[in-house]
Parts: sequence; C-alpha cells; structure tokens
Amino acid sequence: MSSNASNRKARAKADREAREAEKRAQQRRQRLLLAGVGVLVLGLAVVIGVLSAGESSQAPDIPTVDEVAGDPTIDGEDLSPAPQDPGDDPDIGAPAPVVDGQDFDDTPVTIGEPGQPQLIAFMASWCPACGEELPHVVDWLEAGNLPDDVELVSVATSHDRTRPNWPPQDWYAEVGFTDPIIVDDADSSVARAYGLTATPYWVAVDGDGQVASRLTGIIGQDQMSALADQVSGT
Amino acid sequence: MIAVAERTFAILALVAIVIAVGTTVALVRRRVPDWLQAAALPTATAIAAVATGGSLLLSEVAGYTPCTLCWYQRIAMYPLVIVLGVAAARGDREVWRITVPLTAIGSVIAVWHITIENNPALGGACDPVAPCSLIWVEEFGFLTLPTMALIGFLAITVLSLAARTR
Repeated sequence: MSSNASNRKARAKADREAREAEKRAQQRRQRLLLAGVGVLVLGLAVVIGVLSAGESSQAPDIPTVDEVAGDPTIDGEDLSPAPQDPGDDPDIGAPAPVVDGQDFDDTPVTIGEPGQPQLIAFMASWCPACGEELPHVVDWLEAGNLPDDVELVSVATSHDRTRPNWPPQDWYAEVGFTDPIIVDDADSSVARAYGLTATPYWVAVDGDGQVASRLTGIIGQDQMSALADQVSGT
Repeated sequence: MIAVAERTFAILALVAIVIAVGTTVALVRRRVPDWLQAAALPTATAIAAVATGGSLLLSEVAGYTPCTLCWYQRIAMYPLVIVLGVAAARGDREVWRITVPLTAIGSVIAVWHITIENNPALGGACDPVAPCSLIWVEEFGFLTLPTMALIGFLAITVLSLAARTR
C-alpha cells in the first residue's frame, strides 16, 4: 500500500519535472526565435540602409573650410562676450575692432573703421535662426530701409563643413544677399573679436568707430530700423 | 559609412513605429497575445539599446555635437537599457512603473525639440557649438534625431505596458 503511494508520488513528481522542463525548453525556443527575429530585422535594416544610402553618401566635391575661410586682419582690443541683456553691455562706447577682410570673391571689405556708421550682421550658414533672419534682412534692404549714410556688412562666420547649407557663399546667393560680406577665418577670429556668443549677432558701430549696440538672436525688421536710426547721422 | 548608419537607424525607427502601433492596438482592444507579452520587454530593451548605441555613434564617431535638449533625452533613454534589460532577464512585468515616467519625460523633451527644429525662432539664437535647432539628420523627409527618439520612447512605453497585461 505504502509502496503504491510512494510510486504515485514519484510519478507525479516526474510528470511535474517533465512539464517544467518542457516549459523551460519552450521559453528557450521563444527567446531563440525572438533573438533570431531581432538579428534578422537588424540585418535587413543594415542591408537596405547600405543599398539605399549608397548613392546619397557619394558626396560631391564640396570645398573645405580652409578653401572657404578668409584671412582677415584684426586691429584693436577684443570686445567682451556680448551679454544676454543688451542693457548690461559694458562695451557700449568702446572702440570696435577694425577688421580688414575680403568677401568670397576676394574684394576688400572693412568693418569698425571710423568714418561711416555700420550695421554688422554676423551669420552662420548652418544656423536655422540665421536662415530665418537673412531673408528678412534682404527684404528690409530691398524696401530701402537702410539710411544712405549707413552701411550694412555681413560677417560669414562659424564655418563648419559637416553642417547643412555648406558652403556659405551658396547660401548668401540663394537668399539674394548682395551687400558687402567679410569672410571670417577658420577660427572665427572676427566673431571672437566682436564678442559673439551666438548667431545671428548684430553690432551697430557709429561714425566714430564706437560700439553703439550689440544684439544676439533674431531681431526682426523693426529692430533693424531702430539700430540703423541709432547710428545714422553719427 | 555615416550615411548608411543614418539610413539604417531611420529604417529601424520605421520598424519601431509598426511595433508601437501594433502594440497600441492590442492594448486598446485589451487583447495582448501571449507571444507579444513575452516579447515586449526584450523588444523594448533592443529599442533602448539601438537608440543609445545610435546616439553614441553619431556623436562620438560622426561628430554631431549633442545639444542641451539632446542631452536631456539621453538622460531619459540611456538608463532604460539597464532597467529594461534586467527586467527582461528577470521577467519583471511591473517595470513599467520605472520606464513610463522616464519615457514620458523623454517624450515631452523630444516633442519640444521637434518643435524648435520646425520653428527655429522658438529656440532663440544658435549656440555656435551645439544649437538645438540644427537638424543633423533628416531621413525620409521627417525622421530627425528627436523624432526617432520620440518614436523610441513611445514604443518602449507601450511595450512596457503590454508586458504588464495579464
């Protein structure tokens, strides 16, 4: 009697163990299947990626930063980094650094020199905010808003070949900007000398070659007019 | 090589969209099949791992400097690899209590990042090193890096919830 009972217990235990083993084996199969599906999806994605991106990765010959960058000479003391609040700017009234540079066609352009008031717009072609601002600048200029005695000069700066809208001369041409441009060097020395912290960056220089105002970010046409009026007639 | 990697991540993002939509339908209908419940956590782990690996590849190899919002999304995404990996190994079906808060935070940041990409004026001026409005990658016309991150966060969210379902 007790022998039969112990046999039943042993069989039940063996059945339980067999079921658990089967469950574990099923889980292992599920994991293997899942891993296989994962590897398959990854492999397919890589293959499709290679096939479909193959052509687009053939980059055309685009100029290097050194080929685009200018070679400006800078005379004068660097301005401090532009503060977030223009009202706290310690460099208002300070002499602007005088920069002798060239545009993309090697035509000489100068900024900061006493004589003619200037609005200087620092732009980076890859910067989406500059991409939004420059067309407004072009419209503002075409509407004749720039006073006759004020010159607007853009500084093409922060060159980066790996970023969108390279090279910058194509971007300026596409937007239709035809006013003078100074091409910064590869180290953005002009931007640093003028205290650029972000783009777009505006510096108004009066007729005495002194900083009248510095603004960072998209300023819009009303502020462009206000900056120009501030230095006009000085 | 980087162009291939970008396209591959974009294709995987499309796969993640399919997974997220399918899982969401199963959750809404309250009919999550056993196989999906079993596969949910390993799949979520794989998505977090690919997102983490992809972001590291694009920043460390391709040289795409992460902006501030990228870093916030990384903070939400990177721990998910470990959290979900351990949960998948241990069969912890309650891990959604940890993952969903992380993915919710990551999703909100990703949505804001996508908004800035589409409206650069909202992002203010461009930091010369790493502006958040700069679009490094745009595949198939809509898959930017924060868009792919958002897809990852949403897929991980629904998969974590699918694993919970009894």
